[in-house]
Amino acid sequence: MKIHKIIICTLFLFSLQTAMAQDDLLGQLDTKPVKKEAVTATFKALQIANLQSTKLPAKGEFYLLISHRFGDLTEGLQNFFGLDNANTKIGGIYGIADWLSVGLSRHTFQKNYETALKYRLANQLEGGFPVTIVGYNTFDVNTELSKDDYPSLQFSNRLAYSAQLLISRKMSESLSLELAPIFTHKNLYNNVSENANLMLLGFGGRYKLSKRLSLNLEYDTRLNAKEDNPYQNPITLGLDIETGGHIFQLVFSNSQAMNDVTVFNNSTGNGSKGIFFGFNMYRVF
Amino acid sequence: MKKISLLLLLFLIGNYCFSQKMITRTGKITFEASMPSFEEIKATNNSASCILDESTGDFVALVLIKSFKFKAPLMEEHFNENYMESNTFPKATFKGKIQNFDAKKLSATKSTYDLQGDLTIHGVTKKINTKINLVLNSGKITATSNFDIHPQDYNIEIPNLVKDKIAKNVNTIINFILEPQ
Repeated sequence: MKIHKIIICTLFLFSLQTAMAQDDLLGQLDTKPVKKEAVTATFKALQIANLQSTKLPAKGEFYLLISHRFGDLTEGLQNFFGLDNANTKIGGIYGIADWLSVGLSRHTFQKNYETALKYRLANQLEGGFPVTIVGYNTFDVNTELSKDDYPSLQFSNRLAYSAQLLISRKMSESLSLELAPIFTHKNLYNNVSENANLMLLGFGGRYKLSKRLSLNLEYDTRLNAKEDNPYQNPITLGLDIETGGHIFQLVFSNSQAMNDVTVFNNSTGNGSKGIFFGFNMYRVF
Repeated sequence: MKKISLLLLLFLIGNYCFSQKMITRTGKITFEASMPSFEEIKATNNSASCILDESTGDFVALVLIKSFKFKAPLMEEHFNENYMESNTFPKATFKGKIQNFDAKKLSATKSTYDLQGDLTIHGVTKKINTKINLVLNSGKITATSNFDIHPQDYNIEIPNLVKDKIAKNVNTIINFILEPQ
């Protein structure tokens, strides 16, 4: 009788086994991936607003970029809320490799040509390395300066540089933060109000309001600005709107210029005066 | 009674021990949601895994959403971030049975069976009914199937702006070459 019971019990267990068979089979397939995946979509666009984000184009991708900053909003009807004197930046960025891109843009401000190099040094991994680290360098040529005005002008006087280290972390699906130590150098500068070399610490972040909308904010503190200089720490608020192959960024900034060296050195808006509205529009090919 | 249960037990043990499982970890799944005259929306996954239990006809499959590869990297990013929410729902699974499956009847000529089971995508499980073709070739079973998936059935939200550019029926083709485990 005892054996009988054992057999019945075993039979019962086996019948359970059959019922669970499909789950078991699925369990056999469900092994954890060995490779740690890179975290993606930390930021929607290549820029947070004015500051670069840690996003790079993928290999072979071409981004066309058109940005505008209108005149000072606070002047009101005087300049039709800034529409009278807009600044334009037009440029392109190309992904040579997934970790390396080059960019070239032309700015209304100072008839500036800005070349840019962006390279990823490390990627945040799921359950692994905590941050994404990207290097960004810009090289500006001011073509507005003329020999007629400055007879002893040399080519090197036209040049300015920035070197930036961008460190970001996707904290959650909606929140990403960035920290950016920045160094800029100007060959030509006003020695009363500016330094040849400026160091800054930038902070940026984005918060996703919905799948295709995000609110962005960035602020940079100048660490060695001259006392009594007329400039302000750059601050920019942005809203990303993503529509398939386009990314629109509406921005409010205290800088009208868009080349990095000028944004970092010569932002003028102080809250009551100098609010510049504009947008960055990216089209991806 | 004792004899019967003993026999049953032996039968079950036999069944259990000799059940032959066929498996792949490099199964191919392709889907296409293109609309005429718009950008191609097509992705392929070459690392789907699947097990067929030859003794029962149980058929299960699992695929990681992030392993679907698109031509355009941006499309792939949007697929994962906005549509499939792959961080929250990293995999899709199928758990079902090939109806009236008999391993002995498989041959080098194609035989078609009904496949029924639960398909889970984007955290939503739906019963599906489709056909599966099986071919036995030098010890390997090639399983192919072709069916439509409706994104709205799985709560995959498609915004109005791109509604015309994404097909309502996403044609899905699977091709698994199963080998003895």
